[in-house]
Amino acid sequence: MKSIMIDLDACNGCLTCTLACAAAHSRSGSIVGAMQEKTPARIFIEAVNGRAVPVTCRHCEEPACAEACMTGAMRKDSLTGLVSNEGHEQKCVGCWMCIMACPYGAVTAHPRERVALKCDGCPGLPQPACVAACPNRALRYEEPAFFAAGRSRDAACSAAQAS
Amino acid sequence: MVRHLIIGNSAAGITAAEILRRLDGRAGITVVSDEAEPAYSRCLLPDFLAGRKTGADLRIRPADFYAGNRIDRVSGRVLRVDPRSRQVLLENGGCLDYDRLLIATGARSAFPPVPGLSGPNVTGLRTLADARKIVQLAGNVRRVLVVGAGFVGLETAYALYNRGLEVTVVEKMPQILPGQFDATAAGILQRDMHAEGMRIILGAGIKEVLTPSGFLNFFNKSAQGVLLDNGDRLKADLIVVAAGIRPNVELVQDTGISTGRGITVDQFMRTSVPGVYAAGDVAETEDVVTGRVGLTPIWPNAVSQGKTAAWNMAGQPRPCSGSLGMQNAVEFREIPSIAMGITQGGDPGLEVVTAGQPGQNVYRKLVLRDNVIVGMILVGDISGAGVIGALIRKHADVRKFKDDILRGRFNYGYMLAEMRNAG
Repeated sequence: MKSIMIDLDACNGCLTCTLACAAAHSRSGSIVGAMQEKTPARIFIEAVNGRAVPVTCRHCEEPACAEACMTGAMRKDSLTGLVSNEGHEQKCVGCWMCIMACPYGAVTAHPRERVALKCDGCPGLPQPACVAACPNRALRYEEPAFFAAGRSRDAACSAAQAS
Repeated sequence: MVRHLIIGNSAAGITAAEILRRLDGRAGITVVSDEAEPAYSRCLLPDFLAGRKTGADLRIRPADFYAGNRIDRVSGRVLRVDPRSRQVLLENGGCLDYDRLLIATGARSAFPPVPGLSGPNVTGLRTLADARKIVQLAGNVRRVLVVGAGFVGLETAYALYNRGLEVTVVEKMPQILPGQFDATAAGILQRDMHAEGMRIILGAGIKEVLTPSGFLNFFNKSAQGVLLDNGDRLKADLIVVAAGIRPNVELVQDTGISTGRGITVDQFMRTSVPGVYAAGDVAETEDVVTGRVGLTPIWPNAVSQGKTAAWNMAGQPRPCSGSLGMQNAVEFREIPSIAMGITQGGDPGLEVVTAGQPGQNVYRKLVLRDNVIVGMILVGDISGAGVIGALIRKHADVRKFKDDILRGRFNYGYMLAEMRNAG
């Protein structure tokens, strides 16, 4: 199953992913509209000692957020593998147990509504909006094994060039 | 075909049933419960009290859950487990056979031994039936007394206050949420509740519940209410007891299944008797922070233990990732708060660091032992709480990040960057 893979070295912290995320989750569907609607982004670029580090949901195999969810709203879809607290029969009440549980800090409190906010994987789009927008290919939508193989190939190439 | 029998239809039981089906398409799975409703969330009962949710809204699984997963449901109260014949006996005279048994009977409200603390206007809040009873009574009463200022007590108080009732909370300890928060954090949350208009009486216990005639004799006034151990008297038409829980272990008495306060289990959720497992509020496990064996009665632990029990019942051995007994997230009015692990200092081996401005409803506290976080409190800003929780569970040395964590600057990016630098 494909997921959002992060190449830390390629990220320069341009924040395009956060804008694209907000746009994709806004009613208008545009960046300007998202800013007017104050739609929050669900991917974060954290500053770590001067380095930009993207942090977002990994849609875990056994999601701690879903285990902690006391309403049943947060669930992993068995077909798509996506973990979300939206679009289910059970509704999120903003108890924040998922925020307490997520070891990646990928779930946040919505800035205005009493509801937890997280990456929904952009169901319906060919690839998540953040990935499509990333100009540096720091975010990629790939099979984890394929991504890892590419990284070791890159490492081998740079080692060969260095020698 | 293996026959799995699960006693209990809440967080642990329903999770186990779901995962057993995922792991074994052919096994027989039966859930027996004395509650007739489909599995619902006890944590949402205050929302039901407040009128924000209906009974159907409390369900934690889709309507087709049982049929879709081919889970048989039996309605009935289990009287006794008989491990020798591998049967459980029901109150209605029936009995159910099993190959593997999960006891997920949960707990019930514990009532303190106070004279007169019983009767139609006294109840706990543990089941949907309790909640329905309170809602029914709430239409005809004005003053509610909540006994205990833990999470359940305060959530109940807040919900009933929102229904327009006069609510007083009485707590024996000198602060609200005594099991979880320190005095500073409790003070912030209490101020917030006072602002709403709720009355909270601390450091006082209930000495006696007075009937209308008793009240008349004592105080020469016609009312019903309570006498506190400090001599004060309070009128109360409805008393909700939220003074802790007692695990439902009676069904294993004299069966050879070891119990302490709850049913003792190992990290595979196995009891002392082969083929019998326990999970959820009824189970006693080792706390990942304190190392002490005890109850860990919160929702995420019940789910995690139910999951572990299912894997092991299905013959795929897998230890529990470890339960953190004390962890809770709460937002009564508008201040989100999270506490985890050991939140009070005191022990000479513990280092306590705090930050924030309690006057502005922002407070952070870390409790560490040898640079390993063993507990935390976040009030006001709870973002990234789970990242700190992961550091607690992993017993990670945080000396490099201590100040960043305390100031709320730490995030998972730090660990990604560390891993990259290391790799």
